[in-house]
Amino acid sequence: MRGRRTPLRRVWSALFNGYGLLFLAFLYLPLGLIVVYSFNANPINMAVWTGFTLDWYATIFRGASVEGNFDAAFTESPERIFAVVRNSFAVALLAAGLSTVIGTATALALARFRFVGRRFYQALLLLPMLVPDIVLGIALLIFFVGAGIELGLLTIVIGHVTFLSSYVFVVVSARLAGMDTTLEQASADLGAGPITTFRRITLPQIMPGVVGGFLLAFIISLDDVVITYFIAGVGSQTLPLFVLAMMRRGLRPQITALAVLILLFSFAVASIGLFLRSRKP
Amino acid sequence: MKGDTVRTRQRNTLLLLLAPVTLILAAFFMVPLGIVVVYSFLEPGLYGGVEWTWYPFNYGRILGWPLNDYEEFDPIYLLIFLNSLKFALLTVLFSLLICYPAAFWVSRMRAGRKGLVLFLITLPFFTSFLIRIYAWLLLLRPTGFINTTLQTAGLIAEPLDMLFSGFAVVLGMVYIFTPFMFLPIYANVEKLDHSLIRASQDLGANPVQTFLRVILPLTAPGIAAGSVIVFIPALGNFIVPSFLGGSKVQMTGNVIERSFLQSRDWPFGAALALLVMASVVLVLMVHAVRSGRSRDRVVA
Repeated sequence: MRGRRTPLRRVWSALFNGYGLLFLAFLYLPLGLIVVYSFNANPINMAVWTGFTLDWYATIFRGASVEGNFDAAFTESPERIFAVVRNSFAVALLAAGLSTVIGTATALALARFRFVGRRFYQALLLLPMLVPDIVLGIALLIFFVGAGIELGLLTIVIGHVTFLSSYVFVVVSARLAGMDTTLEQASADLGAGPITTFRRITLPQIMPGVVGGFLLAFIISLDDVVITYFIAGVGSQTLPLFVLAMMRRGLRPQITALAVLILLFSFAVASIGLFLRSRKP
Repeated sequence: MKGDTVRTRQRNTLLLLLAPVTLILAAFFMVPLGIVVVYSFLEPGLYGGVEWTWYPFNYGRILGWPLNDYEEFDPIYLLIFLNSLKFALLTVLFSLLICYPAAFWVSRMRAGRKGLVLFLITLPFFTSFLIRIYAWLLLLRPTGFINTTLQTAGLIAEPLDMLFSGFAVVLGMVYIFTPFMFLPIYANVEKLDHSLIRASQDLGANPVQTFLRVILPLTAPGIAAGSVIVFIPALGNFIVPSFLGGSKVQMTGNVIERSFLQSRDWPFGAALALLVMASVVLVLMVHAVRSGRSRDRVVA
């Protein structure tokens, strides 16, 4: 702290800290509420605590075999949940993998080459992140239907790759910008070919950016609602679309338990990603 | 000769690196957006689909020149659009008011704690968007946490009608987009040159003057960037209003969704989507021009 610790300054500082804690509470209390509710045995009103239960989690994994707290009309079978989770993971892995290759290649091209149209590409790559989701969603819907491509997991993967490549591009470009190029030059001077130089020198240095970009793309794909909503076929529901459909039918404790599991998973993946990105090049 | 082969090889490498992104963005981004533009000028077919005839009345239905003798102009779509603009602007305003002081709070921390708090503020960005809305449904609904708590405490007799209102929609969007607003402002506040603030104080400015004349202009780029990236997803949103606004509060996103998935009037939906898109482009252009100008000023 600079300056004298006058009483006024101390009051100001306390106010600031109080405000900051309120800010964090605003961000986290709603999520904390979901966690508490997911253990509440009350099947009618989650806001009234009637006792601790793990039944809602059990209905996700074991379905109807849980006695008592089972509400068949609102509970999805474990097989159904497993199927949509598998769909989501397949889409997210494939979309994130492809976007990582495309985004990284583009970042390398724009960072290591000077060419006509470089600024055009820089602007173009920002666009998919700036176009509102709903516009991209309906554009892809019209396009796929018009081109006669059947809506399904493949169209979801393609749709995700169009905007996820930009996210990976931004993350990897940031890594490349902070990188020292003398090692690459030394490698080239010593006679290594471009592929060897890339594999032995460039790739290891940008690896945290590449992995961070992959994880970011993975988590965004896993969570995407709007674009997926328009381009998913009848038989290709993903986890967010499944949760959306459940929420439309009414708020039930089973959604709450599922929500907690999703939160835990995305917290874990995001923590790894943010940790990797925070490491300096 | 050798120079030539090196150059050829370099060019091939560049082409190889750029080919996938060019292909993907041309085929699945530029072309689809182009088709949306075309569709918005086509006549809707009787049973979904389109007739390939010039038909400017999709825009007419929204902006006020309906096809004569056939349709009546209903200002509802324009009103819903203006309402969406209002909600998006309110979302920007409130998330700015919340995030601005928080950015200063974080910037004054020592390194270790700062890292942790930044992590905590960024984390919700990576968690499910739907689940964060779900949390607010649990909080706001008549039998939700807030009403139950207030009733148990005896502060209110009847549950407050908070859900399905403009208030709930804006609150939900502020909650969802807080990290979008916080990060650009924080990046700006963190770079703030504190010697300028001290100079202002030494020269006798009171705290209000220092804030208005020094701190605010210096953090304006962060405010502008945060506002733009909150405004864009807020304007076209349809998930938040469909859950927290119910049938009472509509945004243009809801109308677009319905015209694609329920009434199957794709050209009309495309016209509405382009109206949203045009607003976004306008905001981006104003932002680009203004931030370019302020950069010139700094250089001069």
